[in-house]
Amino acid sequence: MGRYVIRRLLQAVLTIFLALFLLHYLTSLSIQINGNPAYAFFGGQITPTQEQLRVVAERYHTDHPCLKRVGDPCLSNFMDTLGRYANGDFGQDLRFRPVSDQVVMRVPNTLRVFAINIATWAIAGIGLGMLAAVRREKFSDYLIRAGTIISGAVPTFLFVLALKYLAGVWIGGWLRDHLGDDNVLSIIFRPSWDEAHPWLTVILPGIALAVIGTAGITRLMRTSMLENIRSDHVRTAKAKGLTGGRVLLAHTLRNSLIPVVTLIGLSLGGALGGAVITEGLWNIRGVGQFVFNAVRQNDTPIVVGVVSLVVICYLLFSLLIDLLYAVLDPRIRYE
Amino acid sequence: MSDTQTIEATPPTAPVKAGPEKVRGLWSDAFHDLRKRPQVLVCSAVILLLILIAAFPSLFTGKDPRDCQLERFFGAPSADAWFGYDQYGCDYFAMTIYGARPSIVVGLLATATTFILGAVIGSIAGYFGGWVDAVISRTIDVFNSIPFVLGAILILAIWRSAGDTVWPLILALTVFGWTGGARILRGSFIEARGLDYVKAAKSLGASDSRVMFRHIFPNAMAPIVSLVPLAIGAYIEAEASLSFLGLGLKPPAVTWGSMISNNVPEVLAGHPRLLIIPALFLLSATISFALLGDAVRDALDPKLK
Amino acid sequence: MTDHNGFAAGGHGAPALEVTDLVKHFPIRQGIVFKSTVGQVKAVDGVSLTLRKGETLGVVGESGCGKSTLAKLLVGLETPTSGGISVRGEDVTRLGRSGMRRLRRNVQMVFQDPYTSLNPRMTVGDIVGEPFAIHPDVVPSGGRRKAVQDLLDVVGLNPDHINRYPHQFSGGQRQRIGIARALALKPEILICDEPVSALDVSIQGQVINLLEQLQDELGLSYIFIAHDLSVVRHIADRVAVMYLGKVVEIGTETEIYDSPMHPYTQALLSAVPVPDPTLRGHRDEITLEGDVPSPANPPSGCRFRTRCWKATDRCASEEPLLQIRHGAQHANACHFAAPRDVVHAVD
Ligand SMILES: Nc1ncnc2c1ncn2[C@@H]1O[C@H](COP(=O)(O)OP(=O)(O)O)[C@@H](O)[C@H]1O
Ligand SMILES: [Mg+2]
Repeated sequence: MGRYVIRRLLQAVLTIFLALFLLHYLTSLSIQINGNPAYAFFGGQITPTQEQLRVVAERYHTDHPCLKRVGDPCLSNFMDTLGRYANGDFGQDLRFRPVSDQVVMRVPNTLRVFAINIATWAIAGIGLGMLAAVRREKFSDYLIRAGTIISGAVPTFLFVLALKYLAGVWIGGWLRDHLGDDNVLSIIFRPSWDEAHPWLTVILPGIALAVIGTAGITRLMRTSMLENIRSDHVRTAKAKGLTGGRVLLAHTLRNSLIPVVTLIGLSLGGALGGAVITEGLWNIRGVGQFVFNAVRQNDTPIVVGVVSLVVICYLLFSLLIDLLYAVLDPRIRYE
Repeated sequence: MSDTQTIEATPPTAPVKAGPEKVRGLWSDAFHDLRKRPQVLVCSAVILLLILIAAFPSLFTGKDPRDCQLERFFGAPSADAWFGYDQYGCDYFAMTIYGARPSIVVGLLATATTFILGAVIGSIAGYFGGWVDAVISRTIDVFNSIPFVLGAILILAIWRSAGDTVWPLILALTVFGWTGGARILRGSFIEARGLDYVKAAKSLGASDSRVMFRHIFPNAMAPIVSLVPLAIGAYIEAEASLSFLGLGLKPPAVTWGSMISNNVPEVLAGHPRLLIIPALFLLSATISFALLGDAVRDALDPKLK
Repeated sequence: MTDHNGFAAGGHGAPALEVTDLVKHFPIRQGIVFKSTVGQVKAVDGVSLTLRKGETLGVVGESGCGKSTLAKLLVGLETPTSGGISVRGEDVTRLGRSGMRRLRRNVQMVFQDPYTSLNPRMTVGDIVGEPFAIHPDVVPSGGRRKAVQDLLDVVGLNPDHINRYPHQFSGGQRQRIGIARALALKPEILICDEPVSALDVSIQGQVINLLEQLQDELGLSYIFIAHDLSVVRHIADRVAVMYLGKVVEIGTETEIYDSPMHPYTQALLSAVPVPDPTLRGHRDEITLEGDVPSPANPPSGCRFRTRCWKATDRCASEEPLLQIRHGAQHANACHFAAPRDVVHAVD
C-alpha cells in the first residue's frame, strides 16, 4: 500500500508538471506564431500606446525575448511561472484582484453545479440503464436509447438556453404569477442564479449540464448489467432459488456499478468545459463563469491562470480518487 | 508489391460459381445491416443534404448573406426571404445556408486530423511497445489531464485575432482531441499483436510490413472507424460551442454558433426565430451524426448487442 | 532395446527434427519507463527430443508447462535462450533470413484456437493462399487459385467456398482451414499445438482422422501437443510427458500407456477416461494435490517433488536426469521410478 501511494504521488507530481509545461508551451507557441496578444487585448482596432503595451506585456509576461523565437520552449519563463504558481499567484484580473482569491470564492458555487450534475448522472443514468437492461430489446429499451442519444447530441449551450427560456421564463413566469415569488417551485424555475438561494437556483442548470454525458452512462450501465446478468455467479444464485428481484439487486447492481462510477469520474473533466457555458449563461458566480467572462472580455491572462489552476485541481482530484479506489479494492495496488 | 497479390487478383482460369447463399465480408455485412434501418437512411439523407449545402451554398440561395440593408431590420419571413431578416437587415435564410460550411468543414477536418494523428501515434505505441509505448502513453495521460474544451478555449483565446479561417479551430481541436483515437488504436494493436493469426502469418515467414498492413491494421482500424460519425457530430458540437463563446470564426464569416449567440438578446425582444432557426439546423447536424454513429458502432461491434 | 529417446529399434526413418537442450526463459520486467529484469519464467528448460520421418511424437503436460513455447521455438516464432534445433541435420537456430524462409517451408504449425488463428477480414482463399503470396516461387501466380482449391479439397472442405469468410464456418471447418494453410508450402513437419482441444468432442475425432490420413498420404512427421493423454493415444507413435518446462518421461505409445515409470505420468494416466465400462471403478486412482508451482520459481532438484507421494530429501537436492533406469525400457526422470499399471484393472 505504502509503495503504491508513493508511486502514485510521484506520478501525479510528474503529470502536473508536464501538464503545466504543455499549457505553457502551447501558450508560448501561440504567442510566438500569432504575435503580441496585447493587440488582441485592445480588440485589434485601436493602436495602443507604448505605455499601454508595456503594462499589458507585464500582465501577460510577454516581455521576454524568447516569445519572439518560434519553437523556443521559453524554459526560464516557465520556471518563473511555476515559481509564481507555487506562491499561489495565478495572475490578477483587470481590477488587480488576485485570480486565486476569485477562484477560491467561486469554487463553492461550481461545486454546487457539479453536485447536481453528478446526482443527475447517477439517478438518470443508472436508473435508465437498469430499466433498459431489464426491458432489453423491448420498446422502452429503444426509447431510452434514442432519447439519450438525441438529447446527448444537443450542445450544452442550446440546452441551457432552451431551459432558460422555456423553464425559467415561460413556466417560471406562470409559477410566479400563480404561486407567488417565494414559492420553492418559483425559485427553482428562475431563469438565472440567485445568491440568496444558491442551491435551489442551481438545479436547472446542473441538470442541463448533465444531459450531454447521460447517454454514455446509461449505455454503460445497460451493457454492464447485461454482462452481469449473463455471468456465472448470477446464474448460480438463480439456481440456488433466489428470486429474480433479489438476484438483480444483490449481485448484478453492485458489480455493474463499478465501471459506471469510474465513467462518472472520467466524465467530470469533460463537464468542466460545459460548466464554463452553463455558469456563464445562468449567471452562476462560479469558476466557469470567471472563464466565460474573461473570454468575453478578451482577458487572456485570466484564462491561462484559471485553466492552469483548474488542471492542477483536477489532477489532485483524480489522485484522491485513485487512492480511495486502492483503499477500497486491494487488487488495484498490485496491477 | 507482389507480396500483397491476392487470389482474387489473379484471373480465374476456371470460373467457380459461388454457393447459392450470398457471401460477404464483415464490412459489407455491416453495410447491409445498416441499409435496412430507417434511422440510418433518414440520417444519411440529412447529412448528405447538409454536406451539399456546405459545398455549394449558392445552389440553395441566390442571396448574399453579407448584403445587409438596415432599413429591413427584423423583417418578417416572406416568399422572398424565407427566414426574414436579422437586426442588421441581412437575409437570414442566406446566412443560415452559408453558416453550414464552417460547421461541416470543422467537423470533417477535425475528425480527419485527430484520427490520422491519433492512429499514427497509437499504432506506433502499440506496434513497438516497450519504452516507445511507455513514453507515448505518458504523453497521452498528460494531454488527457487538460479538459478538452478548456484547452481549446485557452488556445483560441490567444489565436482570436487570426480572423476568418478555420485553422485555429482545427488546431485547437486536434491538439486536445488526438488522444482518444491514439488510445483506442494502441489498445487494439496490442491486442492484435498477440493474436494467433498474426503468429500464423509470422510463422509462414510474412514480412513486418505484410503483418502490419494485411493483418494488424485492418483489424485494429475497425473500432476507430466505427467512431467516425460520432466524432464528426461531436466536433460540430464543439465548433458551435466555441463559436458561441466568440472563439470560432470571426465576422464577416457566418456560423450557426455565432448566429445563435448574437441573437440571444432578441429572444425576449420578440424575435425567437432568429435563435431557433440556426439552432434547428445545428441540431439536425449533430443529431443525425449521433444517430448514424450509434448505428454504425453497433453494426461494426457485434459484442455490444 | 530402445535408446534414451525411446525409439524402438528398426522403427521409423532418419531424424527429421532434433532438439538438444532447448531452453527458453522469458524475462519478468518491472517498471513503467525504465524496466529492470526481476526474474525469469523458465517456460522451456532443457528439452531434448528427436522426431523421425513419418512418425508422430505426442507431447503431453498440464497447461502452463511450456508446450506452446516449445512449439513456437520449433517454428521460429520465438528464439531460444540456448540449445539447438536441427531440421534434417541442419542447425536452424543460427540461420539468417533466407535460411529461416527455407525452414518455414519445412516446419509449419497448426494452432490451438480456430477462432483466433484465422484473420476475420480475409477470405478463405486469401488465408490459405497467403503462404503462396509470401513465397511466390512455390506456385506460379496463375495457378494459385487452383492450388488453394486443391488444398481445400485435400482437407475435406468444399473448394467452392473459397470466397467465404471464417465466421461463416464451424469450429471444425475452421481448423481444417488452418490445416490447409499449414500444408500449403508442402512442409515435412507439422507442429500441432492442441489442434482439437478447442473443438467439440464429436468433431475432435474427425480432425484427428484427417491428420492421420494426411500423414499417410503426404508422409508428414507430426509433433502433436495435447494436455491429456487420451487424445494423444490415437495418433502418437511415441509420447513425451512434460512437467514445468522439462521432459519427465519419453517412450513409445505402448511403453507409456502400459508401463508408465514416472509418478507424474501415472497420475496423468489415471485421469484418462476409461472406454471399457467394466474397468470403471477398478482402477488405480491417483489424485494430485496442490497446484503446479510457478515456472518463475521452480522447486529445486526434481520439479515434481512438491506434489509427489514418493518424494524424499534426495529429490530436493539431486535433480533426476532423463535416462533409462533399471527395469525400464524407456527413459524417465525419477529417482524412484517403478512401473505401475494404472490403465488396466488392478484386481
Ligand atoms: N511471451 C511470454 N512472456 C512471458 N511468459 C510467457 C510467455 N509465453 C509463455 N509464458 C509463460 O511460460 C509458461 C509456459 O507457457 P506455455 O508454453 O503457453 O504453456 P502451455 O502451452 O503448456 O500451456 C507459462 O507460465 C507462461 O505464463
Ligand atoms: Mg498452450
